[in-house]
Amino acid sequence: MQVKTFKQGGVHPPEFKDATASRPIRNAALPPLLVIPLHQHTGAPCQPLVKVGDRVLAGDKLGEADGLIAASVHASASGEVIAIEPRQHFDGQRVLAVVIKTDAAQVQAQFTPPDSAAVTPDAIRAAAREAGLVGMGGAAFPTAVKLAPPPGKPIDAVIANGCECEPYLTCDHRLMLEHADALLSGLRLAMTAVGAKHGYIGIEANKPDAIALLSDKADGNVSVLPLEVKYPEGAEKQLIQAVLGREVPPGKLPSEVGALVQNVGTLIALHEAVFLGKPLTERVVTVSGPGVVQPDNLRVKIGTPISHLFADCGGLTGHVARVVMGGPMTGWAQPNLDSPVVKGTSGLLALTAEVVPSMEGSDCVRCGRCAEVCPMRLLPNYISVTAAAGLYDLAERWGATDCFECAACAYVCPANRPIIHLIRQTKAEISARRRREPK
Amino acid sequence: MSVPNLVVVPPPHLAEERGVSRAMRDVMLAMVPVTAVALYFFRLNSLLTVLIAIGAAAGTEVFVRNLKGLPHRLHDGSAVVTGWMLALCLPAATPWWLVVIAAFLAVGVAKELVGGLGWNIFNPALFGRACLVLLAPLFVWLGVELHVTRFHFPAIDAVSMATPLAMAKQGDLTLAPEVINLFLAYPGGAIGETSALALLVGAAYLIYRKHISWRIPVTTMGTVFILTALLGHHPLFHVLAGGLILGACFMATDWVTSPVTPVGQLIFGAAIGALVVVFRLFTGASEAVAFSILILNPLAPTIDWMTKPRRFGDR
Repeated sequence: MQVKTFKQGGVHPPEFKDATASRPIRNAALPPLLVIPLHQHTGAPCQPLVKVGDRVLAGDKLGEADGLIAASVHASASGEVIAIEPRQHFDGQRVLAVVIKTDAAQVQAQFTPPDSAAVTPDAIRAAAREAGLVGMGGAAFPTAVKLAPPPGKPIDAVIANGCECEPYLTCDHRLMLEHADALLSGLRLAMTAVGAKHGYIGIEANKPDAIALLSDKADGNVSVLPLEVKYPEGAEKQLIQAVLGREVPPGKLPSEVGALVQNVGTLIALHEAVFLGKPLTERVVTVSGPGVVQPDNLRVKIGTPISHLFADCGGLTGHVARVVMGGPMTGWAQPNLDSPVVKGTSGLLALTAEVVPSMEGSDCVRCGRCAEVCPMRLLPNYISVTAAAGLYDLAERWGATDCFECAACAYVCPANRPIIHLIRQTKAEISARRRREPK
Repeated sequence: MSVPNLVVVPPPHLAEERGVSRAMRDVMLAMVPVTAVALYFFRLNSLLTVLIAIGAAAGTEVFVRNLKGLPHRLHDGSAVVTGWMLALCLPAATPWWLVVIAAFLAVGVAKELVGGLGWNIFNPALFGRACLVLLAPLFVWLGVELHVTRFHFPAIDAVSMATPLAMAKQGDLTLAPEVINLFLAYPGGAIGETSALALLVGAAYLIYRKHISWRIPVTTMGTVFILTALLGHHPLFHVLAGGLILGACFMATDWVTSPVTPVGQLIFGAAIGALVVVFRLFTGASEAVAFSILILNPLAPTIDWMTKPRRFGDR
């Protein structure tokens, strides 16, 4: 198979996908309580539209934001609002959330599908906004905003991101197999929205069944591209480089090089938003890791606490040392099992003591492995050493702000340096300084 | 459901199987062939030199870290590697107390004094050797006999032979060994200069295991070969003699004191090679390889800065 890939760096972590790759998506049990955060996206948080004591139907809008960059939040099940209060978020913050006591018998809100004859770019963006769509690959950027190309920046290619390059995760793989038609429909909607002539579906070569199925179904100006199994193949800038051979300039968006990337799950949700009028109230989550009794791909109501998902998968086993929301390379370690699933949650992992990396690190020995694997051509060794010394200006000059935190460097570091921590610290320090000294 | 003692740390939550000690084990393995050749030539002398150097290096590390109130880190193997590398830079018949002084300077001063492994500016082993050379007049002034041998095994006689480069320098190339001998095995010079072939086997292993890149060894040796050929000298002889291969493959490739960028490594190697040629052909200086590498060592970060890879997305 002819495979494409990004040009520099990358790592080959073990895939660990066998546990769930062939397990069809099944519906998770409805939890007694849903905790639905009003800020699940990049941009302005939503203001609540409901109050304690209100009864809501599945699909009712719970919160809305005025900002340009924002996404509405909907009830994922019918029930009673019992609290609106700050709750623990996956990233350790506390975020205003609507807590719903779910009904035993679910009542669905009525969705009104739009007139399919009127699928104009504006109508597609409106549907995406109304449905509260955000990127479901992890970054959770509001989809309606991405579907509105900046003036003077024509987009010629939309890339459906089916790489799923993070170990353990198989939710996108299952979606491509089980919802291929919806994916192709969603891709065409995105192409219509931005006026792109070409559509690509980039899939890592370790999913030959998905590649075969979609190649079979894709026609016209949509093509399926097998990509090398290499992390981080699914990172936006790397995927654009692999598929189109274009490099997105530093600090710019993909529209700068005429490209738009959407996760396959997002495109399926776009299809459902436009043709079914369905808001984004559920998503597929891979629950896996050596600490899970029966790993699985679950269709989960947004707001479901993660403890409920582990219980749904037979519970936990062994000495679970770390619980991660997302994939093992970029995911968020959890202090407990209270965080709810949000729109950007692709995976939930229970990692046992045997598989988590050692916490003991030492000084950088300048072996250069990090520089070899950095997909952004950075020299992470200098960033980490300067940041650790508090020399944030120097860390920035070594390119800290170009880093998108794929963690390939930390994955290979023989000295076990906390490189991602140091880079985040640098970025926070630099933006704090910018705020202090506006210029 | 709850899980006790969950740890919240930044990603990644997965790590490649690796470690500094693993790399150090491989470096030790890579030094075995040339050490074995030296053992054949110099027997107990070379064994004692290697063991004393390793012991003194490890002892110094424990001692200095103890003074600094830090736990020892012998388990990562770096002190053993430094000691062993230092031994490779020394003649087998070096008096034991000189080996100890060199090891102390290598580990105590070049490494631990500046912050420990990762912070050293100079290659510790070469620093130790160079200090002995610079201190030699002092020892002579103190009246210490430098070339005493500890034991009188028959093989010792070979040690007192002049090094191939010294013979060549005296203008008597007929005395110098055949190139093929230099390549296979020849008992002149330091422990690590006894066999080019053994060194290259070790270096090939390190390249195969991805601990070092081909760039620094190839550019260093290549530059010496090309420049000496252009200047009308015997290029193969200059590559094989005087510890150039030892320096190019084991010393100049030291992680801490060499550049990490690919272009930087090419420049670093070529600069070392050029300096070696200048020292050997245009000055009377001995120790050309050691001083060339030591001169380039502190420039490694500057070379990295100047050869930073093109920024992603910049044209």
